[in-house]
Amino acid sequence: MSEQAIKVLLVDDEADYLQTLSKRLSMRKLEVYSATSGQEALAELDKHSVDVVVLDVRMPGMDGLEAIKEIKKRFPMLEVIMLTGHADIECSIEGMGCGAFDYLLKPVAIDELLYKIQDAYKVKTLKERKIADLKAAAQERDQHA
Amino acid sequence: MQKLYRRLANRMTFISLVVALAPLYALSAGIYFYFSGIHQEQLKNELRTLAHNRVSAIGLFLDERTSVLEVLAQTSSKEALTKPGALEKVFGLLNRRSWSFLDLGVIDSKGRHLAYVGPYPLEDRNYSEAPWFRHTMLRGTYISDVFLGFRGTPHFVVAVKHSAGSDSWILRATIDSDVFTRLVRSAQLGQRGDSYIVNSAGKYQTPPRFGGDILADCQLCMQSVPRGINVVERVTPDGKHLLTAFAWLSKKDWLLVIDQDPREALGPLILARELELAVLVLASLLIAASIIFLARRMVRRLEEQDRQRSALDAQLAHSGRLVSLGRMAAGVAHEINNPLAAIGELAGLLDDLIDEDFRRNHPHGALFKENLTKIQQHVDRVRSVTHRLLGFARRMEPRLDSVEINQVLTEAFSFLEREAKLKGVEVDLALSQDLPSLQTDRAQLQQVFLNLLNNALDAVEGGGRITLASRREDGEVVVSVADNGPGIPKEVQDSVFDPFFTTKAPGEGTGLGLSISHSIMQKLGGSITFESEPGKGATFFVHIPIS
Repeated sequence: MSEQAIKVLLVDDEADYLQTLSKRLSMRKLEVYSATSGQEALAELDKHSVDVVVLDVRMPGMDGLEAIKEIKKRFPMLEVIMLTGHADIECSIEGMGCGAFDYLLKPVAIDELLYKIQDAYKVKTLKERKIADLKAAAQERDQHA
Repeated sequence: MQKLYRRLANRMTFISLVVALAPLYALSAGIYFYFSGIHQEQLKNELRTLAHNRVSAIGLFLDERTSVLEVLAQTSSKEALTKPGALEKVFGLLNRRSWSFLDLGVIDSKGRHLAYVGPYPLEDRNYSEAPWFRHTMLRGTYISDVFLGFRGTPHFVVAVKHSAGSDSWILRATIDSDVFTRLVRSAQLGQRGDSYIVNSAGKYQTPPRFGGDILADCQLCMQSVPRGINVVERVTPDGKHLLTAFAWLSKKDWLLVIDQDPREALGPLILARELELAVLVLASLLIAASIIFLARRMVRRLEEQDRQRSALDAQLAHSGRLVSLGRMAAGVAHEINNPLAAIGELAGLLDDLIDEDFRRNHPHGALFKENLTKIQQHVDRVRSVTHRLLGFARRMEPRLDSVEINQVLTEAFSFLEREAKLKGVEVDLALSQDLPSLQTDRAQLQQVFLNLLNNALDAVEGGGRITLASRREDGEVVVSVADNGPGIPKEVQDSVFDPFFTTKAPGEGTGLGLSISHSIMQKLGGSITFESEPGKGATFFVHIPIS
């Protein structure tokens, strides 16, 4: 499992930040996709299978919160980490309420972000395994019946 | 300000006094003048009736005297009356009935005294030159003014002429002045009243009780006294106020004067006036005192309210300023954070790319590596500032635990104990042991204590002293952090809680500690205050409400 690279989608409207961060995460053995807006992010998710989304809450165009809601609706198994440059507690609380995994304050240290992504990934795989177990149990019950 | 309130109090007092007292005075004056008018009118009417009665009585008296003499003259004759003893008999008869004749005489047309009975030796007088004789001969009957005559005492005479053919003779009687005076004086009123008769020349015909002898000048302007009966108020030349009735006699040009002392007559009214005045003065004093008292109290309460309101306004303005500063700080932090994040990541990427080989073999490899590290350190430093700023602006909901204040305080102190020892600062703990445990946010409270302790440590030099104390005060627990450093200058005392306000050297403090502590304490329902005397140190008080 650890051999398999975690697939991450970075969403931020700051191009410099986005490119640099994706490069750095790639160097840390992550499979990184990037998008500069909410719409673009949804398009990317349709194309690739992704484990964790790192999303700036404040973006022009589609608001970060709307993006989280949309992502969670379409891909319920995805984990979302919010990034924010603003101490917007309401926004963060709302994001958490929409199912975000956690939030981090910008600028964030690369290692901190990396650990958070790994945590999110672990949670995601745990959930997936539980669902798989449940499915197996259900199948077994069906066969017995 | 003080002057303004005093003026307000004065104006209120003045207006209330006018409104309260003016109607009272107007009513009192109205009632007084109305009743005194009625009373005086009544007095005058009484006096007029009296004068009328007395004038009639005096007129009747004189008429009777004249009639008696006329009857005597008609029914007798000169010869019969001049017989020796005849006149004495008639005189005795008259006086036995107390007709008040002093003497009686018979005079012939030549003015010779034919017969006389009376106390004076007047038998041989010749009256042909006397004014009354001539008047009597002319008119038939005559009542004289009072005069001295031969006998030298004041008296007046009543004379009647009787004509028998060509011969005529006169029967003359002198009226007892005492009896007449008594009759006139019976009109006198009260202790200080007076009544007398004045003739048309202004001479007293009966002696007044005050102010002159009989026949003296009464100092009245006789021409100005109209006919009939008049009641006037007048002032005598010697300054006495009098209520006077003037009544002319109908048969004789004599004026009956009845004086009354108005003070005596108006006695009950004056008593009533004095009573009324006394009540009025007393009521005025009471009203004035209560108005002044109430006005002062109201204004004092107003002043107190104004002071409280302005204190509240100042507090509101201060917290408003803090809120807007906080918003601005958050906005600035946000704008800085995004490019800062980019800078950090760019430097991080470069750092990632520099490998051992590049560092060793490139001529500036070590410098690259070193400067990239420095860039990241400075990014971290800016980040710590902006994150604190955001923390200041963030409205974090307090998490309530049961908190032992002393424990939090000693914990905070333990973090800084080493630093204090290194600096040579003595720290005293004076903790009250009977503090209740409070429902409040432990972590935030600890941050406040840490901020204050940090400031105190920065303020004192080596050998300084810091005192941490906790005590219970009504409804709250007060924690104080006192230092004996340089204190807070007066001119900056207003801004110590403002964000970014610092007295520390650049780079050593963000100027956020106290403003964060302030907003934390507000969130926790408490407050933070300080006292400082420049040169002697500063004491900060953290007030945490119990309950």
